[in-house]
Amino acid sequence: MEIDIVTFGKITEIIPNGMMSFSGLTDTDQLKATLEQRYPELAGMKYKLALNKTLVQENKPVIEGAVIAIMPPFSGG
Amino acid sequence: MANYRKKMSDKRIKNIFIKGPVSPSFIADSIGKHSSKTSIGAHQIFLGQVRRDEVDGKTVTAIEYTAFEDLALEKMHAIREEIFGKYPLTCMHIYHSLGTVKSGELCFFVFTSSAHREPATQACAEVVERIKKELPIWGKELFEDNTHQWKENK
Repeated sequence: MEIDIVTFGKITEIIPNGMMSFSGLTDTDQLKATLEQRYPELAGMKYKLALNKTLVQENKPVIEGAVIAIMPPFSGG
Repeated sequence: MANYRKKMSDKRIKNIFIKGPVSPSFIADSIGKHSSKTSIGAHQIFLGQVRRDEVDGKTVTAIEYTAFEDLALEKMHAIREEIFGKYPLTCMHIYHSLGTVKSGELCFFVFTSSAHREPATQACAEVVERIKKELPIWGKELFEDNTHQWKENK
């Protein structure tokens, strides 16, 4: 399954932007676990996901072509 | 209360982002535009300025801001509606920089107005806190030797 990964802030330096292949995952919790395996630095960081421009507050299903944003803590102002 | 909410709900999502610093003349013009709104008795303004912080002997020369713009503007719209539902404001204007803002320049402008001072003061403070916490915006602090660190909000 191909997922479009969009990263922000510090995470842009850890995970590249663009389409990424995954297999056997169906939800955002599994996606997080896979990302943390592939990018161990992410596991030690605080971050939030957005699925198709909606902040992920609880586990959500993920389908082919989903756009997932990976966001470190906000630091505007 | 319901009136304030209705007034805002009619409005579409506004952009708050401007490229580069917020200029002092823009702020002055913005204040000037309110002279025709004669029900206003109080304005409250918050201005964020890029600090020339020193970190391990290096100084911050600028902050480069990026945002997840769509998500930020949706969230800002929701915050705006909540604030108008909570306080009897006449108006509220918000601007945040994107791109590079040098130390000493302004990066954030929140401007609230009401008939009497209390709602403007409280709403302004609350909006500043909420924007810093809830809007997907990131600051990259640039040092003079071209290295950087990612800003963290206190």
